Amino acid sequence: MKFILLFLSAALVNNFVLRYFLGICPFLGVTGRVESAVAMGLATTFVMTITSILIWLINHFILVQFNLPFLQYVVAILVIASLVQLIEMFIRKASPALYRSLGIYLPLITTNCAIFFVALLIPLRGYSFIESIVFGFGAGLGFTLVMLVMAGIREQLDFADVPEPLQGAAITLITAGLLALAFMGFTGLITV
Amino acid sequence: MNIILISILSVGGLAAIFAVFLSIAHQKLKVEEDPRVEQVIGELPGVNCGACGFASCRAMAEEVVGGNISVGTCSAGGNDTVQKIAEILGVESEVSEKELAFLQCGAVSGERKKKASYVGIESCQAADIAMGGELACDYGCLGYGDCQTACPFDAILIKEGLPQIDVARCTGCGNCVEACPRDLISLQVLDGEVHYRVVCSSSDKGKKARLTCERACIACNICVKVCPFDACEMKDNLAVIDQRNCQRCGVCAQRCPTQAIRETES
Repeated sequence: MKFILLFLSAALVNNFVLRYFLGICPFLGVTGRVESAVAMGLATTFVMTITSILIWLINHFILVQFNLPFLQYVVAILVIASLVQLIEMFIRKASPALYRSLGIYLPLITTNCAIFFVALLIPLRGYSFIESIVFGFGAGLGFTLVMLVMAGIREQLDFADVPEPLQGAAITLITAGLLALAFMGFTGLITV
Repeated sequence: MNIILISILSVGGLAAIFAVFLSIAHQKLKVEEDPRVEQVIGELPGVNCGACGFASCRAMAEEVVGGNISVGTCSAGGNDTVQKIAEILGVESEVSEKELAFLQCGAVSGERKKKASYVGIESCQAADIAMGGELACDYGCLGYGDCQTACPFDAILIKEGLPQIDVARCTGCGNCVEACPRDLISLQVLDGEVHYRVVCSSSDKGKKARLTCERACIACNICVKVCPFDACEMKDNLAVIDQRNCQRCGVCAQRCPTQAIRETES
């Protein structure tokens, strides 16, 4: 039960994008089409989950053992950068078309603050190993969900009769704002 | 001392583990790429100007090597580049006409009148939104250099408030055309011959044009009358020279009272 609540908390109630305003760059950049948005979300989820595992292990067995908490930032960057390299190679091999459609946003997962947030929050909140995985995975899926919803809306927006001054970035930002308002409805549902 | 050593060892060790893992992954997940792509990229200007319609030089090179687009797609590189790409791919190159940026406003700072003082953001885009900033002319060059910023080849330099386009450096990528909020820059064919062009975009009536700028086309119709080849025409209070009819006699430029028609290299 505890894990389910933690999962829902990370994915919905405390959604990284719409509550903490993290990872806005891919949220606005890659949500033009559903396909690439979901791919981006899943890539980010993968990096987030593995980051959570590695960060917990490194934190627990190295940083805490040797009393080096100040290395958290450095280690987080190291882990995230390596994982993004890995996933970049994998996507390039598995699907060149997807690799091209993600473009610059793929290497930019490295600088996605949502992942960095996960890496810093795990030691800070003192999650256990399983909790860390659930938290990272939930946050990633929450990110994917928001990406999917946003991309779906934006694909529909292409056919909508948007007033001229609001076309393009303006209507995208308004949509993001309304989406964030809607997600505020989850507030207080779970307090984990 | 000890803590520094432990820090270095632990982070260094982690980095080494990741490095080994990544290099194994690199071997396993290696993508075979056509070596000609790299060669083509080497010949391209490499500034990702986007004139070809692709996001980067690499994207365009992949398409060229794949045979999906013509070898002459890179307009920015010019004929030399096209020829070299054609050599790499072993195909016939087609020689395309070279187009260069041309600014349709010829009034430097002193010659164009001000209507107000502008203290906003120093950018043409911003000034244009703010009712044209300090410039009295609604059509002329604002001179804050958005085109200079947009030019990936350093071919534009603002001199006396007017962009000077360096013909030798301009590649015709068209980024400045996009950047100008007043659509003053267009791409014109460079064929080594002298052209006579109207360097004014003002559609204001004669009196207003004269009041706002010393170099404005005042729609006096003199060029239309003197042109022996019927190449000059008056459209919306602005002289237009039809380059197909123009025989480059230069009478219009000599007779224009405001020097709004000038001899240009492109």
